[in-house]
Amino acid sequence: MRSISLYTERNTVIHAMDPISKLFYILFALLIPIILPSIKVSIVCVVLGLIFLLVARVFKKTIPVFSFVFLILLTVIIIQGLFRPGNQTTLFHFGPFTLYKEGLMFAFGVAFRVINIVSAFMILILTTKPSDLVESLVRKGLSSKIGYVIISVFQIIPEMMSSMETITDAQRSRGMETEGNLQTRMKAFLPLLGPVILGSLANTKERAMALEVRGFNSKGPKTYLLEEKKYRYSKVVQWGILLGIACALAWRILV
Amino acid sequence: MKKIIVENLKYKYPLSEKLALNNVSFEIEQGEFIGVIGRNLSGKSTLCQAMVGLVPHFYKGAYGGKVIIDGLEVRNYSIADISLKVGIVFQNPFTQITGSKMTVYEEIAFGLENLGISRAEMINRIDFALNLLKIAPFKERSPFDLSGGQMQRMAIASIIAMKPEIIVLDEPTSQLDPEGSEEVFRAIQDLSKQGITVILAEHKMEKMAEFCNRILLLDDGKVVDFDVPEKVFSRDDLGEHGVNAPVYTRVCKALNKKKAGTNDYPVTLEEAVRVLGGMGL
Repeated sequence: MRSISLYTERNTVIHAMDPISKLFYILFALLIPIILPSIKVSIVCVVLGLIFLLVARVFKKTIPVFSFVFLILLTVIIIQGLFRPGNQTTLFHFGPFTLYKEGLMFAFGVAFRVINIVSAFMILILTTKPSDLVESLVRKGLSSKIGYVIISVFQIIPEMMSSMETITDAQRSRGMETEGNLQTRMKAFLPLLGPVILGSLANTKERAMALEVRGFNSKGPKTYLLEEKKYRYSKVVQWGILLGIACALAWRILV
Repeated sequence: MKKIIVENLKYKYPLSEKLALNNVSFEIEQGEFIGVIGRNLSGKSTLCQAMVGLVPHFYKGAYGGKVIIDGLEVRNYSIADISLKVGIVFQNPFTQITGSKMTVYEEIAFGLENLGISRAEMINRIDFALNLLKIAPFKERSPFDLSGGQMQRMAIASIIAMKPEIIVLDEPTSQLDPEGSEEVFRAIQDLSKQGITVILAEHKMEKMAEFCNRILLLDDGKVVDFDVPEKVFSRDDLGEHGVNAPVYTRVCKALNKKKAGTNDYPVTLEEAVRVLGGMGL
């Protein structure tokens, strides 16, 4: 079956970490550059994130994401470098344009923060099975209904995509143009929507009934077929991250 | 012992003018195999869903009369409570997959997890259900990677693992190929042998005549007849109610050959052979 999850199976230390710890790391990557706005701190965080991605051996998988992010960051660097109010120190000229130091530094600050956050999320997404993440969260007290919604999306969307393909094939076999220029493809998309959306709605009703009769709304406490996964050093890692954030705060306030 | 008592059940879907079930009353004994037949829209599915509480709890709508399952009045209990007594299997095997489990084994565990069954008991029940439905060889596969027949047997196994005393099957083979249907029918027969009370809505009359202890004929939301297959299928007005008798019955009717000493036509191949055997054909 096709999967829309980006999870990549590898046998590394990062994969063996508690999903909750990875969520803590995201918090860390978000907060630290805010607490300590120095560009050096951001660079350290970025390097840390990249090291984790390399250790998890998923760096290659991040390239498409990073190239997209870089495209956007490039526009930020150009615009800020050229036009940021308060630009004074000229770095160099090309043609009629002048690149300024202040704008460039500001843009780099933004860029590092973005890369930092993106890599923290990539660590979570690429090295954690969605079902493991949700199960950890449900055990920590997330409503099992929300958990169900999150996990089922990963299976039901690919199902919808394959039914969409079947419908496209059926329409193509009756002579509809589905390939060619953008306009033809847009036109081919419209008659798809009816069957796919109405079909999904009907399926949703049936699935809701099937869930009901399997005790989905049962009031009692739930049990789990799989034993709770034991992650080593979870507590140490999580407390370590919290301590790191606390230290950064203290640094900011005191120094 | 009376397992199911339905008294003057009336039901109207919301936004509908017509009664989907109109004054339906019958009683079913423990361990019986009951067939529900009738034309499309005659109320078969509604009746099936009334047994598990989807009617009225899921749809709402106007509801009158009583459905008592093993002493519980359906109207006063939640679907989750009733699901401990009655399980239901629907037509479409795809939509019965929860979509939140990676393997067949875990899929069957879904209902048990919701009910809070202990892990040891869960494993016992899942193994029992896998073996009864003969799907143990696929237990590590993804639920979506099964054939229709296998998927439908998995849906039945998921219900059986919850250990209901009654199982309702609403046209479980209508979307399956002949081989898949055969697998499912065999599985249903096995369930009946386990002592589970079975209620099966189906259009395949030969199968119904072969398996069912009694047949409930519905038309326009009303019970037309509730009797042994020979009596129901020997009725002269079957056509008016939109139902065809099994092919064996139709042949014997055409030849006017009744079962010896009765007023009924044969309904199964064996009976037909016995009746027609003496004709020197």
